[in-house]
Amino acid sequence: MIANSLAVAGNGRPAAPHDEPAIQVAGLRKSYDGVVQALDGVDLQVRRGELLALLGPNGAGKTTLVEILEGHREADGGDVRVLGFAPGRREREFRARIGIVLQEEGLDPAITVREAIELYSAAYPHPRPADEVAELVGLSDRRDARVHTLSGGQRRRLDLALGIAGDPELLFLDEPTTGFDPAARRQSWDLIARLRALGKTILLTTHYMDEAQHLADRVAVIANGRMIAEGTPDTLGRGAGEAAVVAFRLPDGVELADLPLPPGAELEPRERRLFLRTTTPTRDLAPLLAWAAERDTELEGLTVGRPSLEDVYLQLTEEPT
Amino acid sequence: MTLPSRSDLALLRRWVAARIRLTLRNPRALLFTFVFPLILVTVFSALNSGDRVAAMGDAGGKVPFAQFYTPSIGIFGLASACYTGVVLGIASARDAGLLKRVRGTPLPMSIYLGAWLIGAALTGIAAVVLLFAVAVPALGVHVYARMLPAALVTLALGAATLAALGLAVASLVRTADQAIPVAQLTFLPLSFISGIFYPLQGAPDWVVHLAHFFPLFHIVNAFDACFVPQTTVGGWSANDLAAIAVWGVIGLVVAARRLRTEPVTGDGRARRGLPRRDAVAGHVSRG
Repeated sequence: MIANSLAVAGNGRPAAPHDEPAIQVAGLRKSYDGVVQALDGVDLQVRRGELLALLGPNGAGKTTLVEILEGHREADGGDVRVLGFAPGRREREFRARIGIVLQEEGLDPAITVREAIELYSAAYPHPRPADEVAELVGLSDRRDARVHTLSGGQRRRLDLALGIAGDPELLFLDEPTTGFDPAARRQSWDLIARLRALGKTILLTTHYMDEAQHLADRVAVIANGRMIAEGTPDTLGRGAGEAAVVAFRLPDGVELADLPLPPGAELEPRERRLFLRTTTPTRDLAPLLAWAAERDTELEGLTVGRPSLEDVYLQLTEEPT
Repeated sequence: MTLPSRSDLALLRRWVAARIRLTLRNPRALLFTFVFPLILVTVFSALNSGDRVAAMGDAGGKVPFAQFYTPSIGIFGLASACYTGVVLGIASARDAGLLKRVRGTPLPMSIYLGAWLIGAALTGIAAVVLLFAVAVPALGVHVYARMLPAALVTLALGAATLAALGLAVASLVRTADQAIPVAQLTFLPLSFISGIFYPLQGAPDWVVHLAHFFPLFHIVNAFDACFVPQTTVGGWSANDLAAIAVWGVIGLVVAARRLRTEPVTGDGRARRGLPRRDAVAGHVSRG
């Protein structure tokens, strides 16, 4: 802390080498009433300028983790540094450099959109102009509307506006597009992508896999208080040995056992559709295609696809039965 | 690490202005703080016109009804703005997750809550001034210049104490639903026994003792005295002012303790049966 104070005296910012991650978490633990283990040794790094999507089932520890990073909660143990600060100390300088968009934050019902943006950003050192912020989130035509007259989606966009109005360098977005119609959601995605292009670091929690796929540089999956996977949206899950899914309709009069396939193929009986998860689709397909050509049989609906992020996520977070 | 205090003062001014603007948009606050006292004073002064009451006991002699009733009802409006308004306002702000929002920004909680208190006090004082602006020409109420300083000090101290107690009570109740009955059940019975609606003369001893324990009686008594020429020198009621100040300090201490130990309750978690935040005191390694 001494080193920090000295650096702060110099330029108002703590000593944080530029290559230091925006968020650095190691062995983070948190339990409630000493019983529920919400976080059980979580490690996480988010680089500066990176957009990380944090995925996980309800109750996995997402909210607890994010609230510790925001300074809303204290951890029981482990190391946590956010922008070089210990967030649990809730220093004002720290709060001036982060923006938080939570799900259940209230607003005075009688305040207008413009007033809210101006008022709640007034404590930041360099707030953005309110009109510009309203424009960014698509609320320009509702600038003078009172909060209680806004629709659910407009309220959510105002929350987003308040999160970015202080021009923070690190933004926490907690399910920012829940309840949006598709157009509003696309618009918000564009905004988030633009913020990322400006070099902002963003930690996004979401239940929408397409959102994570579309926006995230990297995805981290948390379940039962532990990080169970992380990687880019495209590579996540490869380590589990799954690069591709081969699928086709089983020709009539043919049984699964007749096909020259490696073990592990699954048959979906109603549609007679066959699925094979494989890391070597080319090698596995060669004998199959030869078999089909020999019999002049067409493999209907043949596809070789990568598992979607959703497939991987569902598989990762599946409860053992 | 704090920003320069000049910018903090500007921030406070800005939040106080916003707080007052938002209060004036709240129909309930307007009704109880501004309209209701005006109606009470006009109607009851008409019903009791010509009556003279011993507002300050025998020593003060008898004054016209409106001369007693206007300052008393003024305190009713003041308490509605400063006490009831702050209890309901802060309890519902906390329930709605507004305090949590503020905690996530660089705005110091002390500025946010301070703006509530100052805004409520200024609104309440404005309501009293408005009441006199009507009562002086319309009902012939006298304002004595030599007692005006005492009246203003009493009003300001009373407003501060009521707002501080409002903050304390808001920090003690769990939800906004609880805040409404708690605010009404603490304020209304006390207003009946504190000499707001009629002088306390002739009340049973135990009622008088009970009333004397709480601050509202002292605020009413000290303020009324500023409008009864024969009572005290310059309208100053040292004992009452001391009692008011003690209650104000109690309110601030309770509020400060509660808000420090339980900083972010009321984001709806308790009602949904989720774990209370900060249920487990923990330490983050400062690595």
